[in-house]
Amino acid sequence: MLKYCLCAILTAWAFSASVSAAPKHPDTFTYLTISDSDSLDPAWSYDVSSHAIILNVYEPLFTYDHGSTEKILPLLAEKVPTRENGLISADGRTYTIALRAGVKFHDGSPMTPEDARYSIIRFMLADRAGGPSSLLLEPLVGYSATRDDKGTINPKVWEDANRAVSVQGTNLILRLPRPYAPLLSILAMWAPVVSKTWAAKNGDWDGTEATWTRLNNFRKESSPFFERANGTGPFKLERWDRKTKEFILTRNDNYWRSPARLKNIVVKGVNEFGTRKLMLEAGDADAIYADRPLLTQVKNLPGVKIIDDLPTLEMNPMVFFTYHINTVGNAFVGSGALDGNGIPPDFFSDKDVRKAFAYSFDYRGYINDVMRGKGTQARGAIPKALLGYAPNQPVYSLDSKKAAEHLKTAWGGKVWEKGFSFTLAFNAGNLQRQTVSQILKRNVEALNPKFKIDVRGVEWPTFLDAQKDSKLPIFIMGWNADFPDPHNFAFPILHSLGQFPKYQKFSNPEMDRLVEQANQTTDIAQRKRLYEQLQALEYEEVPCLVLIDMVVYRTQRDWVKGWYWDPIFPDGPYSSYYYPLTKE
Amino acid sequence: MLRYILKRLAFLPVVMFGVTLLLFICLQTLSPAMRASLYVKDPRQLAQLDAVIEKYGLNKPVYVQYGIWLRQVAHGDLGYSETAKMPVAEAIRSFLPATIELTVLAFFPILFVGVTFGVLSAVYRDRLIDHVTRFVAITGYSLPSFVLGLILLMIFYGRLHWLPPGRYTLDSDMLIHGDRFRHWSGLLTLDCALNRQWSAALDVAKHMVLPACTLLYISVALLLRITRSAMLEELGRDYVRTARAKGLPESVVVRKHALANVLIPIVTLSSLLFVGLLGGVVITETVFDFPGIGRWGVQAAQQLDVPGVLGSTMLAAFLFVLANLLSDVLYALVDPRIRVGA
Repeated sequence: MLKYCLCAILTAWAFSASVSAAPKHPDTFTYLTISDSDSLDPAWSYDVSSHAIILNVYEPLFTYDHGSTEKILPLLAEKVPTRENGLISADGRTYTIALRAGVKFHDGSPMTPEDARYSIIRFMLADRAGGPSSLLLEPLVGYSATRDDKGTINPKVWEDANRAVSVQGTNLILRLPRPYAPLLSILAMWAPVVSKTWAAKNGDWDGTEATWTRLNNFRKESSPFFERANGTGPFKLERWDRKTKEFILTRNDNYWRSPARLKNIVVKGVNEFGTRKLMLEAGDADAIYADRPLLTQVKNLPGVKIIDDLPTLEMNPMVFFTYHINTVGNAFVGSGALDGNGIPPDFFSDKDVRKAFAYSFDYRGYINDVMRGKGTQARGAIPKALLGYAPNQPVYSLDSKKAAEHLKTAWGGKVWEKGFSFTLAFNAGNLQRQTVSQILKRNVEALNPKFKIDVRGVEWPTFLDAQKDSKLPIFIMGWNADFPDPHNFAFPILHSLGQFPKYQKFSNPEMDRLVEQANQTTDIAQRKRLYEQLQALEYEEVPCLVLIDMVVYRTQRDWVKGWYWDPIFPDGPYSSYYYPLTKE
Repeated sequence: MLRYILKRLAFLPVVMFGVTLLLFICLQTLSPAMRASLYVKDPRQLAQLDAVIEKYGLNKPVYVQYGIWLRQVAHGDLGYSETAKMPVAEAIRSFLPATIELTVLAFFPILFVGVTFGVLSAVYRDRLIDHVTRFVAITGYSLPSFVLGLILLMIFYGRLHWLPPGRYTLDSDMLIHGDRFRHWSGLLTLDCALNRQWSAALDVAKHMVLPACTLLYISVALLLRITRSAMLEELGRDYVRTARAKGLPESVVVRKHALANVLIPIVTLSSLLFVGLLGGVVITETVFDFPGIGRWGVQAAQQLDVPGVLGSTMLAAFLFVLANLLSDVLYALVDPRIRVGA
């Protein structure tokens, strides 16, 4: 019996090797990911996984031209407003957006300018804690939240939002309190058009003043948009099966452009890499999530294509120095004094210390060995693919002599004399950040035997807790663009109110001024100059080390055609806009 | 007996209350920012961390939060699990049937193989069958389930394309979620059969073969060894020698005399194995992309999803008490000398 079983298996094995590589399920595209989606409500979702689904089901007013980060095309709008065509007023504060006629939602109802107005206002007023609403609140009403610190709703919000967004005939009119250069970039990614009638019919906000406060900071599960969708996009949401972590999209045959070539899209969460790889090999998956360290395992698989060297709008990892560390109950700073057994709270406020660390990192080694030679050293907070990138900006390199000089000068020579000790924590499981921590430890400790850095992986909740209270002397994090504009990097990384400086307790009024000025000007040449000045200051000030301008790669079956690299598409290059794809 | 069972069942809410209270207190020792990590996963959300803490009431005193949760439970609402993206009760209803199916499919072969080969290896001590079962037991006990799972997947899916991972294929998926498909029990194989969708039933069953085989291999080891050692002990006893001396056939001696006396440890171990399988087998579920209760419970714990942790723990406590009760009842059945509650 055993013999027969073995024979059957070996025969099947031999036969399986000769199976041809024609596309399996030619109408269905399957992408396997590790991300877990949060909600399909466009006003709630702020995670790349949900956003990638949303942009296949709903459509924003504008889009990017085939992977460009600069050229914007109309999508649900008729034209892209510019000063030249008169759709942006001379003072840069009024945008007139004519909407495309003949577009229908998936339920067959026509899209109207009122739907577009409702969608933008809903996006702003929803303003859930930790959500994306500030992206449009800031340019359209001039402040980034609808509530104060105590959670009280700002009474002016309703009026301000309605003043900012209105309808005139078939046009949508946006009135800004001040010019805001990245507005169209934001509208090419966020606040896609939803149906006001469908929303009201399904128990969501009806668009009136009397009920809007119920929408504010809502619970995601209470929204009909959470797991259902009625967009205008090329695919309809068939089902989000939260049990199997699977999205099934079906083709919208009444799409306003020609219908998509693929009939079904399956996006499925499969956490185990081995399973994802086997499904790709078997042809049951057409694309999978696989990041840089996994490249060697997918590189030479038969029938699998690797598309590498794709520039990103992601700065990861970055090393941030905390200028004023909270030492209360803080085990990361040792004794809390410059006595050789710890560091004082303001240890990193001394520029010489920061510069010494900047000269202690092996940038070239990191790119060559860890990133397998892929990517280039970053020249500042703004990535290569964006306006404001400064190609001639000087960069730091590994130089232990200069590092030692700076540490001998730091704190009047006390650092060199007494030594220091602190803990450098990274979120456990992140291999890249762990490697960065170890490189810094090795090179800094090599300068003086009195220098001690304890590298420790901590779980995300612990990391978050310590970071919130500014307890981490150094923290390593990354940043993905919300929209392809230099402001989306300059503000969070270098402005005193940005996401990172807030916890670093870092503030530089001149840098703040440059960030704000660059954001308000629509003159491209002037913006470029301002960002170059900003990064020159960044180089001198060293509030953080931006290590690498990353490149990424995509893993897909060779029968997938029509894919192009769109650096701004959420969860790219793994996920994608499925409309242009085919399987041949 | 009935009174004993009712008494044990009446004790169940107290156990569950105690377990949840203990867990709740443990979880509340973590800071609000740590518990906010469930909602804040991206640096883009850092700026609004305080607002998140405020929104979800994470800075309220422990007793207030527990009181809110208890009030919800009293109204039949177990809360919302952020990791499952659905209410806890719905999550249990969604994940448990898949786990029950897998457990049933794996458990009976485990029981059969474990007891049969455990007995055989004791009867044929130091012979080939004993060496083989020892090898199986040692490798099954020491081999990590993800390694075995991946090896099986590589052979039977990657190479032979016979047994795929996941729960079902897209065709079955469409059919199962279609308007005409009636969900009778939540157990997909059974539901497909009741809907007379035989190909879908076969498809669902096919997807469970490899995880069931993995569970069989890694779970049978303990049962094999316990059965063997208990049998060896019994086979050396006087009453077995007497039975043999009486001229009873060896098969009768083994089955009716010795085996009957080793059933108590087998029942105890089997009930624990059953609860273990029902409670979820995280690694196996992860490798085979099987949407069971274990994967959810562990994700909830890792991400500090308080309602999720409490819900899955209540379920585990319920199952544990139930399995203990069942094994007590079975003791009385397999050994008439034991009279529960006497």
